[in-house]
Amino acid sequence: MKNTVRIVSVLVFFALVLTSCAPAVTPAPPTAAPGTAVPTTGEKIHLVIWWWGEQEAPGAQKWMDDTVTAYEALHPNVTIETVLQSTDSLIPSFTSAAAAKSGPDIQYFWGGVWTLENAWSGAIIPLDNLIPASEMSHYINNFERSYDGKQYGIGWYLSGNPMVYNPKLFQQAGLDPQNPPKTWEDLKTACTKLNAIGIVPISGGMKDGWFGGWLFSILARQSHETYKEFMAASVGNAKFTDPQFSEWWSRLAELKDAGCWNSDINSVDYQQGQDMFVQGKSAMLFSNDTFLKGFAATPGFGWDSMAVMMVPKWGTGKMADEYVTTAQGWGITSWSKYPQQDADFLMFMHTTDRLNAWFADTGVFPADDRMDTSQITQPILKQIYTWDSTIAGANLENFIPSQLDNDSNMTGVQLLFSGDKNPTELAQLAEDTITKWRTQNPDEVTNFLTWSK
Amino acid sequence: MRANKIEPFLFIAPALAVLLLVFGYPIYRLVVLSLQTTTQGKQAFVGLSNYQIIFQDDVFTLAVRHNATLLICVPIMVIAALFLAVLLFERIRGWQFYRTTLFLPYLLPITVVGLVFSYIFQLSGVLNDILNGLGLKFLALDWLGSTKLALPTLMFVIIWKEMGFGVVLFLARLMSVEEELYDAAKIDGANWWQLQWNITIPQLSTVIEFFTVISIVTMLSWVFNYVYVMTGGGPGHATMVTELYIYLMAFQYNHMSLAAAVSVLLLLVTGIFIFLELYLRDRSSVMEALG
Repeated sequence: MKNTVRIVSVLVFFALVLTSCAPAVTPAPPTAAPGTAVPTTGEKIHLVIWWWGEQEAPGAQKWMDDTVTAYEALHPNVTIETVLQSTDSLIPSFTSAAAAKSGPDIQYFWGGVWTLENAWSGAIIPLDNLIPASEMSHYINNFERSYDGKQYGIGWYLSGNPMVYNPKLFQQAGLDPQNPPKTWEDLKTACTKLNAIGIVPISGGMKDGWFGGWLFSILARQSHETYKEFMAASVGNAKFTDPQFSEWWSRLAELKDAGCWNSDINSVDYQQGQDMFVQGKSAMLFSNDTFLKGFAATPGFGWDSMAVMMVPKWGTGKMADEYVTTAQGWGITSWSKYPQQDADFLMFMHTTDRLNAWFADTGVFPADDRMDTSQITQPILKQIYTWDSTIAGANLENFIPSQLDNDSNMTGVQLLFSGDKNPTELAQLAEDTITKWRTQNPDEVTNFLTWSK
Repeated sequence: MRANKIEPFLFIAPALAVLLLVFGYPIYRLVVLSLQTTTQGKQAFVGLSNYQIIFQDDVFTLAVRHNATLLICVPIMVIAALFLAVLLFERIRGWQFYRTTLFLPYLLPITVVGLVFSYIFQLSGVLNDILNGLGLKFLALDWLGSTKLALPTLMFVIIWKEMGFGVVLFLARLMSVEEELYDAAKIDGANWWQLQWNITIPQLSTVIEFFTVISIVTMLSWVFNYVYVMTGGGPGHATMVTELYIYLMAFQYNHMSLAAAVSVLLLLVTGIFIFLELYLRDRSSVMEALG
């Protein structure tokens, strides 16, 4: 009897443990097709947004908070939770969420492949049925997120890559600040003159890798007509060892040999490299226009301490005359219960009031042609806007597999600066990496083929 | 009688169920995932081809080589920790202060340690500033920016951080060694080295084994944070390790199946060492029981 009681007790306990481990019963998700799950009036809706952007457009957090408050005031049944991700966690967090089909309703994405990889895996949905074409036509750089006739995301703000220089240091070195370097030879001559007065000509930081990808996007384009040539090489229709694709390595090596860079470039991070410019330790930067307002707000530095120029030319391709621009943006997840509400919030971000507030808060241009451009009074920003609206060109990093960017561009630039590989070897590294990518990703190769058409 | 046979299993069943749920199922899923690939958005069985792919990847083989190189840290840590523990046991002046100082690095978060050492070891960092100030410019090297120095620099930081655990472990065991053993040996004329070789090391053998195996497992599967914070696997792939390779495959390149295959291999290798530790512990207790 005693034994029976003990056995029954154990069995009951075991059953309780199993019960507690069982998944909770949840209501079945709405069966309506995406875009038709419009909530009934008054239904409580909670949207979750995972985003990034304060890091490159300081002031974005304030704008986001104001925007959410304004939207919630207009829609009392909607609450919005925003989660600012770090640079390193942006992609891994979303990858995990996508694997679990649970996470944000709206997700921030960089353009091109960074967005479309998630469309290919089914993590985000097309927005064509959620945002009217008339509205969509005002958004800038939509092409980055288009695939197979569908629009998988929209832009939020523009992020471009000017070359920034310090006119005062130029003057000290005997360079004409009104006439910055235009050719590669000019740039190397400027390096010599700046070195002569003990100023680092160009600063950068490679330790965290990102800057290597930027240099690829800024420099490798100059011998090309269109970004599609890089997509073609990715799927095997050209080789990264072809002179057209490999020359940028030699040009970068020339800058290294001319003493243009800070000697500690491999042991400092990207941000530390940018900081050297604001600290007056370097005269030039391959930078980002989203940083400019932040630079100007640095004590002891100001708008008069900098000027912008196009990246000096070494190539004759059409892309050499372009200003690298991408639209950082948004996508709606496939597991969101309220895609139409998500889209409504995205459109709210693009209302004129919010667009103007965005520029006022960040000094960065929204990816929308409806901003009141009379707000742009700063000459440097006027120049950037002119480039954005006349000669904008694709950011190449968005149109190659991320594996090529990481394993070839980012690591390759580090190896160039450490002296371990020469330009020929680095071109071969790129070709080996893309060959490996094609072997490991037959599915993605097919997607790239469709995308490149 | 029959009930008595079943009863023990029923008592451990809840714990077993939890173990299976928490460890067994994820491992099962990991193995299954490592045998699949995504085709047209669907998972398809591909046998061992993911394993074949990763063995053909030179970045993976490089990562494995680096993990193997990191194993050099293990004997250094064991010997240094043993030496320091003996010094502390002999109560050198200020031993209590040294004991805390030596254990402190082990308590610090790896991220903090990594960030601090990143600044110290930059080409224009604190260490090189000091070396330059001392007129030792030839020693002021690019510790983290050079492909030849980055891994040894990383190893130095790992040793500095992880050794404290060994010191405390060895010291705790030394405190329980019967002093009569040392006294008798001293009366017999044993010198310092003989004392350590014939008494200290045999008495500490179980904890030395434990610390060695734990350190091996650390070097194989617990160095991600150091690498991620200090070098990101670079320059080039000079500090790429298996864990970082898994992370990149899974979260940067969206190759979950390849990442799963490497994870299975890593699990197998570390599993071997964990079982080795269990075996050694088991053997020691048997030997102790036999007197």
